[in-house]
Amino acid sequence: MSSPQQINVADLDLPQLADVRKQLEEELQHLTTSFQQLKQAQAKFKTCLENVAEVKPDNKDRTILVPLTNSLYVPGKLADAENVIVDVGTGYYVKKTRTEAQKHYTSKIAFVKGNLDALQETIAKKQENMGYLVNVMQAKMQAQAQGQGQAQQA
Amino acid sequence: MSSTTEQQETNPRGIPRAPFIADVEQHLGGPDVEIEPVLNQFQDALAKYRYMENNLTQRRQGLEEKIPDIKKTLSMVEYLQERREGKKVKKDDEDDLDEDDDDPEDPKKPLRTTFELNETLYAEAELEDADTVYLWLGANVMLSYKIPAAIELLQSKLDVAQHNLSTITSDLEYLKEQVTIMEVNTARVFNWDVKRRRERKEREASLGKKS
Repeated sequence: MSSPQQINVADLDLPQLADVRKQLEEELQHLTTSFQQLKQAQAKFKTCLENVAEVKPDNKDRTILVPLTNSLYVPGKLADAENVIVDVGTGYYVKKTRTEAQKHYTSKIAFVKGNLDALQETIAKKQENMGYLVNVMQAKMQAQAQGQGQAQQA
Repeated sequence: MSSTTEQQETNPRGIPRAPFIADVEQHLGGPDVEIEPVLNQFQDALAKYRYMENNLTQRRQGLEEKIPDIKKTLSMVEYLQERREGKKVKKDDEDDLDEDDDDPEDPKKPLRTTFELNETLYAEAELEDADTVYLWLGANVMLSYKIPAAIELLQSKLDVAQHNLSTITSDLEYLKEQVTIMEVNTARVFNWDVKRRRERKEREASLGKKS
C-alpha cells in the first residue's frame, strides 16, 4: 500500500479521497492503540524494577504478608533476599540475582522505549499525510462548489 | 425446560410473569381498538426484561469468576491447617510420603514458597507457622482470622456464591421464557391487526360493489 504522496492525490476525486482518508484514520487508530499498549508494558516493567529493589537484605528479617492466592495472605519472612525469579517468556522462569534482574528489566524498558519512539515517528508521519490529504480534499470541494455555482449561473 | 404450571404473578425474585394472550380481541377490548398503545406496552415490557437479562448475565459472570478463587483460597487454608496439625502430632506418618531421614517437608521446618511480587517477578519466602491468616475481603479491607474461623468464613462464602449462581441461572431461564412469550404476543397482536385491516378492506370493497 503506497503512501498517498506517491499517487498523485490531485488525480483522485472526492469519493476516492474519502476512502483513502478513512483508511488512514483506521491505520492511525491501530497505531495509537499499539502505542498505548507499549506504554502499559513499559510501566509494568518499571514497577517490576521497583519491586526487585524492595527485595533487599534490609528487609530480610522483617515479617511480610505472603500472598498465597488472590485473597489469602500468610505472615512470613523473605527466604532469599539475593535472588528473584523472573518470567522470561515462553514458560521459562529464571532465578536471577537482584542485580541481574534489575539489568534484565532495565534492558526490557529500553527496548520498549526504542519501539515507542519508532512508533511515535510513524504516527507523526501518518498524521502529516492525513493533514495533506484533508487539505487537498478541501481544495477540491471548494473547486467543485465554485464549478457548480458557475454552472448554475450560466 | 418449562416451569411449573402454577406460576404466581411474579417468580420468587420479583420478576413479573408475562401473560400469554390467547384471544387477542378480548385482550384489546374490541374489534376497532388501535393496537399502537398495546404494542408499545409490549415493547416496554420487553425492554425491561432484556435489561434484567443483561444485569443477571453480568452478575453471573462475576460469580463464575469468584467461585474458583474462593475454592482455591479455601483449599490453601485447609492445607495450612493440615500442616499445623501434622506439626503438633510430630510422629504423624500421614504427612510423610517419603522415607528419608530428613523429610522434604519436615513439619518442624517452615514452609518455603515462591510468591508473586509482580506479573513476571517472583520471590522466595518462608511461611511462619502462625495460627492466623489474613483474608482480603475487597474494598480495601483485609481481616485476620484464626485458621478454623477462616475456613468457616470461606466455606460460607463459597456456599452463598454457589447458591446465588444457581438462583441467577434459574432466573435467567425464566426471563428467557418471558421474553419469548412477550415476543409471541407482539407478533400475534400485529398479525391480528393485519388480518383485521384486510377484513375491513374486503368488507368495504364488497359494500362498495353493492352500492
